[in-house]
Amino acid sequence: MVQLSRRVFSAGASLASILASLPAWAQGRDSVTIGWPSDVTGWDPNQRFTPDAQGIYKMVFDQPLDQDPSLKLIPSLIKAWKLAPDGMSLDLEFRDDVKFHDGSKMTAEDFQWTFFGRVAAGQKLDIANSFRKLTGIDVISPTKAVMKFNSPAPTVPVWLAFLGSFMVPKAYMEKVGVDGFVAKPVGTGPYKLVEYQMNGRIVLERNDDYWGTKPKLKRVVIEIIKDPSARVAAIQSGQVDITVGVPVREAERLGAIAGLKGELNPIQRVILLQVRNDQGFSDQNIRLAAHHAIDKAALSKAFYGGAAVPLSLPATPGTPGDIAGFKFPYDPAMAIKLLAASGYSLAKPAKIGMACTNGQFPNDYDMARAIVAMWKKVGIEAELEVIEYAKYFELNRAGKLPETTLYSFDNATGDPEIYSGYLLNPKLPFSPWKDPVLGEKVIAQFNVADETKRIEGWREISKEAVTIGACMPLLQSVQTLVRKDGMGYTKYGNGWVMGQTMGWG
Amino acid sequence: MLAAFLRRLLAVAPILALVSLLLFGALRLLPIDPAAMSMPPTATKVEIEAARQAMGLDRPVTVQYAIWLGQTLRGDFGNSIHMRRPVAGLLAETLPATIELSLAAMVIAGLLGLGGGLGMFALRDRRGEAVAETVTTLMMSLPEFLWALLLIFVFGVLLSALPFTGRLDPGMTRPVVTQFLLLDTLLVGRVDVFFSAVRHMILPAFALGVAFAPPIMRVLRASLIDTYQEDYIRQARLRGVGETRILLGHALQNAILPTLTLMGVQFGFLFGGSLLVEVIYSYPGMGNLMVDAVRNADLPIIQAVGLTYCVVVLAITAGVDGLVMLLNPRLRGT
Repeated sequence: MVQLSRRVFSAGASLASILASLPAWAQGRDSVTIGWPSDVTGWDPNQRFTPDAQGIYKMVFDQPLDQDPSLKLIPSLIKAWKLAPDGMSLDLEFRDDVKFHDGSKMTAEDFQWTFFGRVAAGQKLDIANSFRKLTGIDVISPTKAVMKFNSPAPTVPVWLAFLGSFMVPKAYMEKVGVDGFVAKPVGTGPYKLVEYQMNGRIVLERNDDYWGTKPKLKRVVIEIIKDPSARVAAIQSGQVDITVGVPVREAERLGAIAGLKGELNPIQRVILLQVRNDQGFSDQNIRLAAHHAIDKAALSKAFYGGAAVPLSLPATPGTPGDIAGFKFPYDPAMAIKLLAASGYSLAKPAKIGMACTNGQFPNDYDMARAIVAMWKKVGIEAELEVIEYAKYFELNRAGKLPETTLYSFDNATGDPEIYSGYLLNPKLPFSPWKDPVLGEKVIAQFNVADETKRIEGWREISKEAVTIGACMPLLQSVQTLVRKDGMGYTKYGNGWVMGQTMGWG
Repeated sequence: MLAAFLRRLLAVAPILALVSLLLFGALRLLPIDPAAMSMPPTATKVEIEAARQAMGLDRPVTVQYAIWLGQTLRGDFGNSIHMRRPVAGLLAETLPATIELSLAAMVIAGLLGLGGGLGMFALRDRRGEAVAETVTTLMMSLPEFLWALLLIFVFGVLLSALPFTGRLDPGMTRPVVTQFLLLDTLLVGRVDVFFSAVRHMILPAFALGVAFAPPIMRVLRASLIDTYQEDYIRQARLRGVGETRILLGHALQNAILPTLTLMGVQFGFLFGGSLLVEVIYSYPGMGNLMVDAVRNADLPIIQAVGLTYCVVVLAITAGVDGLVMLLNPRLRGT
């Protein structure tokens, strides 16, 4: 009897220890586990443009300027800034209470190093391309500096809050070198990096000396989960507290489960058809017919649960480049009429090629197939080919893209130059539209310093581009997000999901 | 025997040279411009051309191959185009995780395969044989990624019994000594972290290994049936040796040799099959690195990972050949 009791006790104890060691997924109230779809490209934040990693970088590094949730430009490390009337220089005043994670004080010297000194030292950085017009940075004092340009640079303040623009410490980087910095990065951000395993996870701990608002959560764990099905399973099983980029239907299904909330949030990413001005699209009638034949509301309903706003311009609603009241209508009858004027019909369809990605953004391939079907109904026959997103630029540079490409363009700033200016600039690889008439207007607009004229100019260019069929805006993209019911976060218009804005209860 | 083993090792060199040539040639045939891929989208044509010259891509392909081969032989795999980091470092970070996963999967495949093979042998000419055949066919017919998703659904979501993302529980810190996590946790004396790592490996290792078990079962079963036709088995029976002892003490020793050879070959496939499983389970190994490299057309990584797969497969094949020679006296003189 005594023996049996011991066995029972022993078995019970073993079972209890196993059970206790089993589901350790849900962290405490002082931490959060985020299921994120992609990794950073490395821990030198100036080195590569990685739009999806910008929110991650913003937890460890600060940007000179920041954006509020409605994307308005706000002070950050820079307290005040003033662009010269001719747009040729930018006066900056920095905070004097900011410390890097290694305890050193941030000064204007660090700014000079980050945005000019590193490139001058021969380091290969993507931000060198953002600040091409920069000829130098004069450090006036530890808290004051002046950026100087070789031509008007009105969007530099916007770029100081955009891709790759993160402050790094000069002294530390010179001491440990770039490789040492990448191995142990030091920023001024609200969290410090304590553990990183490539394609695995990122562990951050609160920077208790942070100059700004202290984050509520002490620890942030980012699990890199690239497979959408695995992200769905991870949030449903409670292994992560919040995740993004799940299929739209799954976001809706998970949102109906008790304890979870599903969201479809419109963000500053536009889905559009990029267009060539030659080959099968050399005829404006065919281009406009193709645009009129697309039922954008139906695409939104079918692929984004109706949450993606149909667009008529390459700018999202509410951003400076948007024109209230401007609509490019869905009008299949007009499409048929335009095609007929150029000698095409259902019996004799216009033939074009179309490229799209598969899996680059939610439902991209299915959406392209739906568009091909819509075109077929009016007399346009499109042959669809799938390309890798990374190859878009290369194919475009080589002039090998087909007549049109389904494309997704991210612009966290919402600035019209970064929408229309980049999407339509014939010298940049985003635009397959190479016609010099529109192209010259676009290039000239980059040098307009007056803010009112600058915004108005981009609006006019966007309108003209749509009117002549140089681009076909389709939808404002949505970010799918699923979170545990008690997990709160600040929603940004550009889809940033950051630990410093999160909290339980 | 040593001479035979060395001969086999020598045969590896031309195979590696051929694989390197094929890898380099095939990747150069693809319509990918590594110079353009190395630059930000806002780069101009002039900047890309400068990058092309700096990378030596304007030189003849044969010269490019010679340079690459020379560097590779010195252990320099170049820099990742996408991440701008040395590829050798990336391999050193990720290869140990893939080796651990593959070994764990092989253990599972081996245990299931050997156990199942013995079970199927015991069921021969009985009713259960057809059922066992059907089960093994089903196990083989599901690809790894489907097993991966199925196991996540059952054990991760429905039962909430096992974790399926990453390698450790969120609250735990990963010790780094050798980059082999299981070994490192033991080296630093963190048994709790060791068990967390083991729990995280169960599902991916099972997903990777389960489909490799049925061939082992079938080969072992067939091999045992052949072995049972041998005279020494009949003589053992006549001497009154028990059936269990005949099976485990006599027949299995010989029957396991072709099974071992098969497992060696399978390990190569299993190593290569880790790509999708690693992505689905967010497992930070070389397969995950390779999938990203393919997506970003990161040629230096693709070349280095391809070569690494080749070296690992050849090394394992040579190792298994050596083991078989050691176990089979008839092969020692060859």
